[in-house]
Amino acid sequence: MTDDLEQLYQSTYTAVVRFLYRKVWDAERAEDLAQEVFVRALAHRPEKPRAWVFAVAANLARDEARAAVRRKRHLTLLKADPVAQPTIEPAADTLVEHDERVASVQEALNTLTPRDREILLLWDAGLSYPEIASQTGLAVGAVGTTLARARRRLVEAHDRQNPNKGTHAAHS
Amino acid sequence: MRHIPEDELHAYLDQGLSRSQCVEIESHLAGCASCQGMRDNIAALRDRTTALLARLAPPRSFPTPFDTIRRRAAIEVSARRRRVHRAAWAASVVAAVAFGWTASQIADSSGAFRTATGSPAAAPLAASLPVTPVAAVSPAPTLARPARGESNGRRTTRRPLVRKVAAAEAPRVSVPPVIAPAELELSTIDIPAAGDFELDGMWRTMSWVGAQAETGNQLPHIDGLPVVQVQVQAGKQGKQPLMVVAQQLVSGEVIRTIEGPASDVSHLLARRTMSDPDPKVSSTDSTRPGTVVYQGVDGSMAMQRGDRMIAITGALPPDSLLAMIRRLNAALRSK
Repeated sequence: MTDDLEQLYQSTYTAVVRFLYRKVWDAERAEDLAQEVFVRALAHRPEKPRAWVFAVAANLARDEARAAVRRKRHLTLLKADPVAQPTIEPAADTLVEHDERVASVQEALNTLTPRDREILLLWDAGLSYPEIASQTGLAVGAVGTTLARARRRLVEAHDRQNPNKGTHAAHS
Repeated sequence: MRHIPEDELHAYLDQGLSRSQCVEIESHLAGCASCQGMRDNIAALRDRTTALLARLAPPRSFPTPFDTIRRRAAIEVSARRRRVHRAAWAASVVAAVAFGWTASQIADSSGAFRTATGSPAAAPLAASLPVTPVAAVSPAPTLARPARGESNGRRTTRRPLVRKVAAAEAPRVSVPPVIAPAELELSTIDIPAAGDFELDGMWRTMSWVGAQAETGNQLPHIDGLPVVQVQVQAGKQGKQPLMVVAQQLVSGEVIRTIEGPASDVSHLLARRTMSDPDPKVSSTDSTRPGTVVYQGVDGSMAMQRGDRMIAITGALPPDSLLAMIRRLNAALRSK
């Protein structure tokens, strides 16, 4: 079992990090969470480790997002405080500099519904239709439908932001 | 002619269809230019999506060696097993002791427990027990206090006095086997942090059989655990003996079950090594009025009822103890 998990780790770690990164948008945090996922996998020894790993990753990312919201709310409160405001420095060194292309894709991705985005990211992470269905609760037959819609909307949203490039790409 | 739906072509390209479905689609595609065009568009859309998402890869990724992950997992598994193991032992130890004690109290319904039944005297009395010499306990308007105030070391008079006062106030009604749940009582116990587990006074290390014979099979113990040591201090002039039974858990840890007069047991507890110089204790009532439960910072537990106290040294969650007592009382009540 452990050997299987080690093989899974070698083959899936990067995909898990990428999957998490697209949710938390912090590379280091994504790696931390990915390691946590595999630590838990070793501790729990799931029957279907591959799907389990992504399910746990999604849960951790969700928890992380909630924590980020709380932090943001806290910072907002601090900024609203006239006394505390001067002590708040923009965390310039921690800001990730996205280039324009990356930012446009990120924005396009954010236009999708959470369900469509989740399924698109799971598919891109390499999960099969049955695995995606198992994790999201969709019927296997509905995965294709959802993926078709998600792909179309992602490309359309991206092309709306980049009309010059979009026309060519949309019909290529 | 039925054309292939878009979502099926997505599933086909994603290899999300069964072999028979794929064969069916491929046979259709071979003769349908419209569906071929649709397939090509979907393939392009699929590639485009993949290319767009590829931009969202993290800037770097250095996989941690799997051995590091494995070590972390081993630590977590070990910690989890310790928690489960501790909880399981807490439940079994508490079950055994609480049941035995409850049963002995029920059987001994005419004993000193009558003094505590329905009386709030036990809590304030217990609060002062561990650090206060018997003679120094200040008098208080409680049932048991006069006996302690007057004892001045002459403990032989305590039980009769207590029983007498109790008989005056609560009286004549014999203690029911199970008593309705009472309100929670909170109390504290001041357990000093000093010394090892020391037994002062005249202690005898005895064999199990000999000690059982001498105490009338009243040795506090946990069934199923090997007994490491039995120590008994004879009670003075009819007083109940102070008994300490050391038993070993499968983990190797030795726990001691102590039963005897509350002042002696609490005094003994006070001499135990405590990890916190200012230990505190949560104390609550069980379902039995007059029963006070203490928890030491090192995990030791003590239950006092009237002038009797039973204690267990070891890391036992208080919730486990209380839950078990409630369950046992409920079971007895249903009988």
